[in-house]
Amino acid sequence: MTTATPAITDTVHETPVRLRGYRAADMPLLTGSWLPGELLGLPDPGRPPFADLASVPPPAADRPGDELYVLPGGAFVRFTEVDWVHRRARLETGFTTEAAAAHAPGLLTAALDRARGTLGLRRVHGWVTPGRPGTEEVLRAAGLAREAEVPHALWLDGRPVGRQIWGMCSDD
Amino acid sequence: MTETTTAVPAPRAVPAAAPTGEDTGPAGGSDPQTPTAPELLTPEEAARALTDAPVRLTRGFLGLDPVTQNTALLARHIGDREIQVLRYGEALLGYTVNPLQPRQAHVATTSADPAPLDALLGFLADYQRATSFVAEVPEGTPVLPALESCGFTPCGVLPGHLFHSGRYREVLVLHTDREG
Repeated sequence: MTTATPAITDTVHETPVRLRGYRAADMPLLTGSWLPGELLGLPDPGRPPFADLASVPPPAADRPGDELYVLPGGAFVRFTEVDWVHRRARLETGFTTEAAAAHAPGLLTAALDRARGTLGLRRVHGWVTPGRPGTEEVLRAAGLAREAEVPHALWLDGRPVGRQIWGMCSDD
Repeated sequence: MTETTTAVPAPRAVPAAAPTGEDTGPAGGSDPQTPTAPELLTPEEAARALTDAPVRLTRGFLGLDPVTQNTALLARHIGDREIQVLRYGEALLGYTVNPLQPRQAHVATTSADPAPLDALLGFLADYQRATSFVAEVPEGTPVLPALESCGFTPCGVLPGHLFHSGRYREVLVLHTDREG
């Protein structure tokens, strides 16, 4: 993260987002400059040029627990570590461009609706690396809350940095 | 280091005296003899050991659930996540390295006795250069005193993260540092 990172609330689009299932042609959406495993995987303009891009695997027969959706041309939504017994999953997203990142609030809302409605999940959680201005506002607006702060959870910019766990539980 | 196995270096010396009258492992507190060396289990052996241990000690062991996951699924998760499970005396110990921060390990124990866990942390610090440790345990777990004795402090609560015995339960997230 750099100080030049824009606040996502500066460019937010309020239009509703419609997710659809992943198709093979969406493969380019699965690789980008976001931090790995991030709940709100916004593009990181401060990423070192030699650093590997983050990526998530496409659906495969040997990973039946993953659910992958896309915002066509702009972002992906992945539910992983899905546990149908405990009705929970870890959510991660990735936006390919800053323009796509403007849809972050709508995409989060659509993702959480998908988790509760289509997938029948009770709990969704994910990793958040502090530093991007406006991130907390977007997460709270979607109904997520900060639940834990794990020190030294990610190697970033030459040092270990803390990461937060954000999540939500649906009462049912 | 006085003794080693072919699988892993032996953890540093473990205090011989275990707390009396407490549940010290899967067998439920029988004579806790000081082990001579840890035994690294294969994923299949680890899955069977976790399945055979009392569920109050193993539910949530590194995110695994021997009640709702059969041994084949447990073994698959253990292999996929590169979880290492060791039998140390009557305790089962587990760890997996955080792939995004190789100096951090997630650890678990089935013993309320802190000595086996302390030995594991010493091993990871000395041989894996781990400096940061994370544990996640269900609320009310009998192993919490062992974690606290090893310096773990709470860093968060995951509400409704685990379902068992008829209701959703919280999971505590704990952390400790151990500089090499």
